[in-house]
Amino acid sequence: MLQIEDYKLANGLRVVLNEDHSAPLVAVNIWYHVGSKNERVGRTGFAHLFEHMLFSGSEHVGNNEHFRHVQSVGGVLNGTTFFDRTNYFETLPSNYLALGLWLESDRMGFFVPALTQEKLDIQREVVKEERRQRYDNVPYGTAFERLLDLAFDPAYPYHWPTIGSMEDLAAASLDDIRNFFQTWYRPDNAVLTLIGDFVPDEAKRLVEQYFGDIAPGREFPRFNAKRSPLEAERRDTFASPVQLPRIYRLYHLPKMGDLDWIHADMLSTVLGSDKASRLDRALVHEQQIAQDVAAYVLPTESTGMMLMHATAKEGVDIEQLEHAFDAEIERVASGGITDDELTRARVRAEVEYAHQIENYDTRADMIGMLSTYFGDPDMVHTWLDPYNAATANDLAGVARKYLVPDNRVTSVFVPEAA
Amino acid sequence: MTEEFRASAPPPGPPRPYHFPHVTRRVLPNGLRVLIAENHNAPIVAMRSLVRSGADHDKAELAGLASLAADLLDEGAGDRDAMRLAEDIGLLGGALGTGADWDATYVSIDVLSRNAEPSLSILSDVSCRATLPEEGFDRVRKERLTEILQQRDEPAAIAGKRFAALLYGEGVYGNSIVGNPDSVARIALDDIRRFYQQHFVPNNSSVVVAGDVRTRDADAFVDRFFGSWKKGAEPPRPEVTPRPIDSSRVYIIDRPQAVQSEIRVGHIGVPRSCADYFPLSVMNALLGGVFNSRINLNLRERHGYTYGARSQFAFRRQAGPFVVAAPVRNEVTRESVEEVLAELRRIRTGDIEQQELDDTKNYLMGVFPAMVQSSGDIAGRLVDMELYGLPEDYFDRYRENIGAVDRDAITRVAGKYIDPDRALIVIVGSAKAIREPLGHLGLPIHELDIEGKEVA
Repeated sequence: MLQIEDYKLANGLRVVLNEDHSAPLVAVNIWYHVGSKNERVGRTGFAHLFEHMLFSGSEHVGNNEHFRHVQSVGGVLNGTTFFDRTNYFETLPSNYLALGLWLESDRMGFFVPALTQEKLDIQREVVKEERRQRYDNVPYGTAFERLLDLAFDPAYPYHWPTIGSMEDLAAASLDDIRNFFQTWYRPDNAVLTLIGDFVPDEAKRLVEQYFGDIAPGREFPRFNAKRSPLEAERRDTFASPVQLPRIYRLYHLPKMGDLDWIHADMLSTVLGSDKASRLDRALVHEQQIAQDVAAYVLPTESTGMMLMHATAKEGVDIEQLEHAFDAEIERVASGGITDDELTRARVRAEVEYAHQIENYDTRADMIGMLSTYFGDPDMVHTWLDPYNAATANDLAGVARKYLVPDNRVTSVFVPEAA
Repeated sequence: MTEEFRASAPPPGPPRPYHFPHVTRRVLPNGLRVLIAENHNAPIVAMRSLVRSGADHDKAELAGLASLAADLLDEGAGDRDAMRLAEDIGLLGGALGTGADWDATYVSIDVLSRNAEPSLSILSDVSCRATLPEEGFDRVRKERLTEILQQRDEPAAIAGKRFAALLYGEGVYGNSIVGNPDSVARIALDDIRRFYQQHFVPNNSSVVVAGDVRTRDADAFVDRFFGSWKKGAEPPRPEVTPRPIDSSRVYIIDRPQAVQSEIRVGHIGVPRSCADYFPLSVMNALLGGVFNSRINLNLRERHGYTYGARSQFAFRRQAGPFVVAAPVRNEVTRESVEEVLAELRRIRTGDIEQQELDDTKNYLMGVFPAMVQSSGDIAGRLVDMELYGLPEDYFDRYRENIGAVDRDAITRVAGKYIDPDRALIVIVGSAKAIREPLGHLGLPIHELDIEGKEVA
């Protein structure tokens, strides 16, 4: 059982400690409760561009010095942005805990004075290259963007992907950056998780020293957008430079952590995880009409989604593939799943959880997530309970309730004419 | 006024000791080498079986053979067919993987530790008693041909294939590990069975177990499940035949719709056994091996040309390539190549600041424990030990070996192993957009199609 200590500083910063001496390392992990869903139309991609800016220095840390400080002592670091949150993390030799706290507190409390137009211009170009490299210059790279565009109305901010659009990135100004920082990057909108080889009293003293005097911010807008139901399936077909047609699906689900979301997570294992899963077995192995298939749920806070895709083999008609794909989903909905399938889904959740807590950095990230979305780091002890309690009928029930045409969007990629 | 503790980076506390997990190493009577290391962070055991023959054994006309054989291993083994294998591994809470690289062919299982014993039994079936069935073969080969077809749209895959082919020709390391459409179409099930019979013998193999299991239990399981595997003849080791070039040249592979140029700059490097391994590791980390290296800081943070650029020595049993890889936007392709070549020249001149050298060494020394936390990470290091004949104390002494590298050693190995005047420059991108600017490099330019044929 992990030893978790959870408390708040006077300025509202939530601190979670997990002492563990199995390696001479410490993971320092901060979750800010802000992501692309807090952007506005015309400034998409902003939360992520902002994440890049937070590595370009603060009042006492020079440009590029953040990376240098961490790497030059043998630390590893990064940050990621998603719809609901932005996280920043470093794993350091444990005698450098104070260094990690100094760096994170400097950018939380003293970021604005170091901001320059030149830094913004460089990072804007880097992010545009990231978009080209990961979305625009790879086959099917814009699939997720297309699904979101269909699945959510423009008023609901899951409508656009975290990377944002080229036009909006070009429009971001220094004022936008300052306002965004002042609204969201504040101790009372963050969770600091420390895991590893430290003495808790000493860690608490250091946390208070570095973070205690950072002021909380003013009242900020709480996210309260409501997703409007689809009413009917939405579809598009997109001709692009790919060799093989591929069908993408997005099904709406309740938000992460709801019982139906947990059951949907397990159902995605039954449908598309390994060779023996339904879609793989039927489409790839038996009928041999698909090159690959996949099904998974996303860890999203405000509303949930299951994503699936299947790639047609050369010469296979995409409509034939879609028909066979839907037949398998229908078989689960009407015929249910076997006890063995339920067991495999349950054990898979168990092994994924074990991998998640195996390393300090991934464990810290899970605890940061539970604290941010559910307000409860101790959920790390009970996370598997609903997985272990699930029945075969629960999973089939999710298929019947959510994997239906008027709850889905479909995007089909076809090769463009030569 | 800034409080003093904020003004500069706080000093470290006293360093904490680190030891790589104790490794038990032995050889069974049938020649199988066995490595075991305990790690009780999580209820996970990582097990690997490796056969010390990989794609280096592929003949050009049958390129893709070793990796195709690997793909077929989990299509049936012992009494189980493909589905039964997948179901049983799933019930145990395991993930079964197979694959081949240049040096070896692998079977891996990561599993909940309470199921270590039945999982090792499956690892043994897949390694020693694969059935290599006809129906599985037909499907797996078709999947491979489709995978190769899909790679025609992936600029990084195209660049990697052309770069290797230009450096090594049709010999070892010159073909793609996955093969090409002609070679894969030519491979017959008999070729795979022959590869399996010749190479999957205990005296050409090792088993590695790392994780939440007691060494004596793991030893007993390995004896039980691998002890009766029959010894065979020692397979030959194919030789690399590199094709050094006498002056730098540029190859453009046209992808008309590209919004980025995928750049590769490099030449043949050194084998893993190179006596200069440690100074080379430090030199490469400083040059382009990590985020804060010269090439990435130059192209990304100074110029905003790329999301990320890296250099690498591919350390293999024989001399793999040294390569700098950078995807950049079309308009700055020439500038990016110039900056990369300039960095390759500068590192050879001895222009290295002490701070930069210290930072790099401290990074490599300090980061090591963070890279070997999970049982899968530790298993990976034991695999390296086996493939490259590293001693048991290698990882415990790694940090002191890095610490001994000085500026003279860096300059010496940069001068010896990096050669910007005899470099191959391969660019997958929009020829129309980049051809004219690249002309200003003053280097000969060739244009190739995706298959590597010269375009008039």
